[in-house]
Amino acid sequence: MDIHDVIKQLNVIFCEVFDDDSLDINETTTAGSVDQWDSFGHITMILAVERVFKIRFTTAEIAETKKPGQNVGTFVNMIQKKLGKIDV
Amino acid sequence: MMTEEVKFSEINKVISLRKEGRHEEALKALLKAAERADNFVLQARYAKILSTLDSSVLKNRPSIKVAVLSSFTDKFLCDILKFWLFVAGFNAEFFESEYGTMTQTILDSESKLYQFDPDIIWIFTTFMDIKIRSDFERPQEQVLHDIDEVIEGYSSLWGVLQNRCRAYIIQNNADLPPYRTFGNFDGILPNGYLNILRRYNSSLLESLREGVMVFDLEYISSLWGKERWFELTQWYNSKIPFNLDAVGEVAYQVAWLIAAIKGKARKCLVLDLDNTLWGGVIGDDGLHGIVLGDGPVGEAFVDFQQYILELKKRGIILAVCSKNDEANAKEPFLKHPDMRLKLEDISVFKANWANKADNIKEIASILNIGLDSIVFVDDNPAEREIVESFLPQIVVPAMPEDPSCFRQTLDSGRYFETLAISAEDSKRTEYYRINAVRDNAKKDFCDLISYLKGLEMVAIIGSFDEFHLPRVVQLINKSNQFHLTTTRYSENEVKAMACDPYTICQHFSLKDKFGDNGLIAVVILKKVNDDEYVIDTWCMSCRVLSRGMEEFICQNLIEICTKRGLKRMLGVYIPSAKNGLVADLYSRLGFLPTTVEENGNTHWQLDLLKASDKLVTHIRSSNQ
Repeated sequence: MDIHDVIKQLNVIFCEVFDDDSLDINETTTAGSVDQWDSFGHITMILAVERVFKIRFTTAEIAETKKPGQNVGTFVNMIQKKLGKIDV
Repeated sequence: MMTEEVKFSEINKVISLRKEGRHEEALKALLKAAERADNFVLQARYAKILSTLDSSVLKNRPSIKVAVLSSFTDKFLCDILKFWLFVAGFNAEFFESEYGTMTQTILDSESKLYQFDPDIIWIFTTFMDIKIRSDFERPQEQVLHDIDEVIEGYSSLWGVLQNRCRAYIIQNNADLPPYRTFGNFDGILPNGYLNILRRYNSSLLESLREGVMVFDLEYISSLWGKERWFELTQWYNSKIPFNLDAVGEVAYQVAWLIAAIKGKARKCLVLDLDNTLWGGVIGDDGLHGIVLGDGPVGEAFVDFQQYILELKKRGIILAVCSKNDEANAKEPFLKHPDMRLKLEDISVFKANWANKADNIKEIASILNIGLDSIVFVDDNPAEREIVESFLPQIVVPAMPEDPSCFRQTLDSGRYFETLAISAEDSKRTEYYRINAVRDNAKKDFCDLISYLKGLEMVAIIGSFDEFHLPRVVQLINKSNQFHLTTTRYSENEVKAMACDPYTICQHFSLKDKFGDNGLIAVVILKKVNDDEYVIDTWCMSCRVLSRGMEEFICQNLIEICTKRGLKRMLGVYIPSAKNGLVADLYSRLGFLPTTVEENGNTHWQLDLLKASDKLVTHIRSSNQ
């Protein structure tokens, strides 16, 4: 799955989780720029990503996403890495 | 049960309804889709959608203020609890303690908790809060002392809270984790971790006081499945002390406990009879034909009745609401050896052919209780739907198909939570039964027509072909209640009639939005002379009664007879012990009486030339 497909699917998840159809995310989008992307929204979003992409993040990976300065790009990389592993 | 994918698409429908401004419908669809077992992502969406619906559709519910105090992150819990409290009948507001400040929040008399003035304070502790060192080499007195100390700690917090505010307090017990360093031996070690927590749980119960109730988190974690409950990925990252997917279950369970604290637990159980308390249809199968007692299915019904009897003993009022002739309906209560429920257990007994929503209103009025105290149990989804749509205050559990799961389904609803028992409880039935004798109920008909339209009924008309013959013969020979002439025919006799050009043979099937009711009616008309045919046999399954099927069938016969150039259609009613239900059928359908025989048989005729008004029915023919 290429990076654009992942972002496209992520955008659908973001719209659902944050209940906002107008969201248009890209790699540089950060938590600060999305209303409601607080710690609660973050957990919900991770669980939704796990379900949609049928992957499972480890505790360490989730911890990584919570570090300051992380953005949508971090997620995309993680998802692609996970999906790649399944393909091999 | 909807699958997860279906749920997500249902939710998208809810969102489109909301966008179109149809908030009322959106709410209905949301409540229909949401189940406590749904995963966290769904639960979070339910909570979010509810919070965005127009406040005008959320009114009519008492408000309640709930403070959740815990040593972890509890926002996720409050949002979802708000949703399930709404389902249980409340508009809830929340106070959440800041992360890790539970004790300070309680002790600080200036804290915002007291300004919030909560109705309920939920102290959400888990096993992780019970910090007692479990070293099996420690002397037992020390361990016991530690347990007492923890309990005294909580007990003094309760005291502070009760001095400073009016809230009712709920406190969790400890959810026992599945880890056992000693294996099975862990349960034997007095100072093993498992036993420390067990002892803590029982001491907690002993230390309860007025105004404090335990929420049995241990029970809920077992119910949900401990292995998954203790998947603690979210603990290490976000300090959430159990599997987030269990949040729906936890919130649901506590919502009904809170309802009980606010006096909104349900008080009355209204029961259907056929296929709910026994298998089969008493009116058709008879006392010896219903399934109750010996055998796998019969035993399941007995156990369900036993469970209901236990509810009655603890003070839940029982009522019956069944589509039956009263005498038929009461017969098993009086004569069947395996009936656990007796007539004296039932406060109000309504067996008639009127619609159940009206009957239940009348039951509530006779008992002088609110509709919001009632739980209605019926195996038939169509009956449940009519009650649910006309009387939304009533809880109508979706009963499973298999009666062996009835007890579980009703019990897990948690509608009858209680905080105490009193000697009054067991006498309540008697009290209501006596009250019910002065039956001063007012009839208030629900809008039956829109209900019938909403059923989207389609009838299929067919002949007695080889494929349908067995069911046709069965229906003729098994029907007792809706059977005008009580004829009985063998398969060969029916076959012969089907081939006779001077006999009209029709069968009818009925589908509705809940599914296929199957072949439910059979009619045989025989030639009398060139102008007249007589309805020799007309029988119908009672499960489709009061849906306009009689009118549909009659209209169909009128059309057939008119096509054949006939002038009159004749009907006979031959009374039997069980067919009183159809004594006035022909009169209802516009036939005129001609003669009454000495044996009670009545003869009717319908002038086809004058029958210009079509009978009203909301059933569509599949052939049209």
